[in-house]
Amino acid sequence: MAKSAQELAKERLARIEAAINLQEPDRVPVWGFGGDIVPAYSGYTNYDMCYDEEKTLKASEKFMRDFPFDSSMAGITGLDGRVFCMAFAEYDDLSPLMTFITGPIHDILGDKYTRFPGREIDKTAPAQFIGGTFMEPDEYDQLIEDPVKFIAETVLPRACRNLETPRQAMATWVRLGMEIARSGAFMAEFGKMNAELGYPPFPMGWGYAPLDIIGDFLRGVSNVVLDIRRYPDKVKKATEAITEWMIKYALAYTKMGTKYAMFPLHLNEYLSPKLYNEFYWPYLKKVILALHEVGVKSIVFFEGRHEQHLETILELPKGWGAAYFEKTDVVKAKKLLQGHTCVMGGIPITLIAGGTPAEIDKFVKDLLEQVKPGGGFILAPGVAAAPADTPLENITALIEAVEKYG
Amino acid sequence: MQEELFTKIVDMDEEGSIKLAKEYLESGGNPQKLLEVCRNAMGVIGDKFEKGEYFLSELILGGEIFGSIMEFTLPHIKEGESEKLGKIVLGTVKDDIHNIGKDIFKAFVEAAGFEVIDIGVDVPEEEFVKQVKEHKPDIIGMSCLITAGISSMKRTVEAIKAAGITDAKIIIGGGRVDEEVRQLAGADAWADDAAKGVRLCKELVGVKG
Repeated sequence: MAKSAQELAKERLARIEAAINLQEPDRVPVWGFGGDIVPAYSGYTNYDMCYDEEKTLKASEKFMRDFPFDSSMAGITGLDGRVFCMAFAEYDDLSPLMTFITGPIHDILGDKYTRFPGREIDKTAPAQFIGGTFMEPDEYDQLIEDPVKFIAETVLPRACRNLETPRQAMATWVRLGMEIARSGAFMAEFGKMNAELGYPPFPMGWGYAPLDIIGDFLRGVSNVVLDIRRYPDKVKKATEAITEWMIKYALAYTKMGTKYAMFPLHLNEYLSPKLYNEFYWPYLKKVILALHEVGVKSIVFFEGRHEQHLETILELPKGWGAAYFEKTDVVKAKKLLQGHTCVMGGIPITLIAGGTPAEIDKFVKDLLEQVKPGGGFILAPGVAAAPADTPLENITALIEAVEKYG
Repeated sequence: MQEELFTKIVDMDEEGSIKLAKEYLESGGNPQKLLEVCRNAMGVIGDKFEKGEYFLSELILGGEIFGSIMEFTLPHIKEGESEKLGKIVLGTVKDDIHNIGKDIFKAFVEAAGFEVIDIGVDVPEEEFVKQVKEHKPDIIGMSCLITAGISSMKRTVEAIKAAGITDAKIIIGGGRVDEEVRQLAGADAWADDAAKGVRLCKELVGVKG
């Protein structure tokens, strides 16, 4: 007899939680992906996924029903909006609400950080974060002095067309509040659909590496890596100043009952071990530890290649959470982190996009043989977004292979 | 001077290397020689990256130093005096608006002696074809960061082949590119970092080292 949605959700949650808690689950959990394939599977566009809630719900439901992973990444499109979380960091009831820039929020703010389908780019293109430079090097002292004030009063009016003057800002923030309240109903409906399909509730908060705030939202990625050489003391002091507010923001989520916090990292791959250990990791570590102290486990997505920094993960307390890798060799990572950190990753999304079912079957078999023993592993795509023309039989092959070899 | 400048660039001494290069030119130094030293230094930075001694931040800073020195050096070099290894038409494919990978690669491949025609980001297939027909490059370089770019690369390669362009080699690059994507797209080579990309471009035009 088929399992009820409730049973299925309970089973999936137990599986994921066992892995994060470094135990052996009933089988290796597999983390799902979303991306352009989700609208394409229903004949919709990326524009629909950003601006049409009914179509977003329909497309997500169809994809999640037909491709049952243990968790789903399909759904509402939102891009990183952490700079707004920093601007609202004094208010625990508001800062978590600013985490994502959705299509309607992009329109309301007129932000220059993102490009949305049907707006700046084609309806077929996915929404993209591009960042930018909204602060000059001689302004580091202001950032150090009071990061919230500097971001709210100086950076945001430059970064958002609709926040340029205080008068515009009044209207924009009211509109934003209305939009957040309005979209709550849709979020609830989306949650209900998840439950009906047997996907477990996964109360997730968010964190961010403090230096990434400077790279992604204030100075731009290329500039911040140059600043590290040109004004090292200032970059360090600014990162330190942001850290305090980042911790406050990450902890604000716990008031909503979250048990996990996801961190998407960006500059980790850019930095040599020396720079990483001086400018990036100590501050990221502080945020992870602050969450650990209140019992929240972090899931940190180490973007790109993280081999050069792997050992630093061992500086965290055992059982702190999960290290999610993109291009780092998960076999090597698992060996090093076994019994200390749950390891996530392992599937190149290009294999799903360009391989065959037989290749996928063999790949999953070989990989799981090496990483399954001892538990503490979650199979996940390196990048959780599949292209529109991903062969559907490949997605099924992945799910079946995990059933067989997990 | 040459050895000192070379070491300063490789060691990422931005201020020191720019100052030294300026002084050299102002005291009547040979701009062609200066260019050569800078190129060699960029080559070594690329090698260090491939060996895992340097990382993306060093590639960005290296490109920045090279660009700063070239700004006041190139006006002293006459057109045609420096021989090019080949011509590359370079762009980020349709539906992808990211430029950072493309720009890092561009700095290094130019330093290696290639002429680059940068056609921007979110470049539609037909624009790639048009630019390639106009510039007749030895190599077509396609960049992408997001996975949507994988589908666009495939379509762009198809469009180029359908237009009867067969003499230009195609290299694809970007963080999410690998052998699987190369096969899927039907490209000649792939690289997920700038240093490898430069090495492969040299191979594609038959230059050693």
